[in-house]
Amino acid sequence: MKKLKIYVDELFKDIPESDQKIAIKEEVLENLEEKVLDLIEQGKEEEDAINKAIVEFGDIEDLKNEFGVKKPVNKNMTKINLAYSIWGSLLIISLFIFINFYYSPSVIWFVYPTFVVLWWPLTMYFKWQRSK
Amino acid sequence: MIRSDIIRGHLDSIILRLILEKDRYGYEISKEISLRTDNRFQIKEATLYAVFQRLEKKELIESYLGGVSQGGKRKYYKITMLGKAYLNEIVTEWKELKEIIDLFLEG
Repeated sequence: MKKLKIYVDELFKDIPESDQKIAIKEEVLENLEEKVLDLIEQGKEEEDAINKAIVEFGDIEDLKNEFGVKKPVNKNMTKINLAYSIWGSLLIISLFIFINFYYSPSVIWFVYPTFVVLWWPLTMYFKWQRSK
Repeated sequence: MIRSDIIRGHLDSIILRLILEKDRYGYEISKEISLRTDNRFQIKEATLYAVFQRLEKKELIESYLGGVSQGGKRKYYKITMLGKAYLNEIVTEWKELKEIIDLFLEG
């Protein structure tokens, strides 16, 4: 029976410690032991019974998914990206406006670079919309 | 032997149904499944515990510690009101699905 305990410990070693983990380990071990005893009763050697129980246990991955072991969900950064792009483009545009009116007030040219820069927040806006 | 991916989506309902009949614990459920299907389908324990976790999280079943075996205390599962309602819905849905699939695959 010690082999079962080792097997269960090994199964759960990747799962972070928690009360839930302790509870489910206990449950798994309890049920496996019962299965082994059942198999022995049906006439199997203890060694065989333990091996059979272990083989039939299956893939722990299913169980891991139910725990918090899922890959951490990527935090949605698109909103921050949008805000950054708006502030950034505003700064750049105001710089152009300043240079325009300070050095060459007779020609209004700042709209051209403004138009180019506006693509940045526009792109970020669509990314944000799409991520919703 | 039934392929496990094909039955996967129905495991929740099969297990809920078994727990509806009476409160049961893990090994009892896996044994019951093998018995009733005459070993044509055997549930892997790892899958079984995953289903328990999922159902418990959705509050469709509850667990409590009960009868003592040689090893330790067994953890029993009990269906909740919500679980019963959910199962009812699943059964209706299944009947409909079966009829539709039968239309194409039977005969």
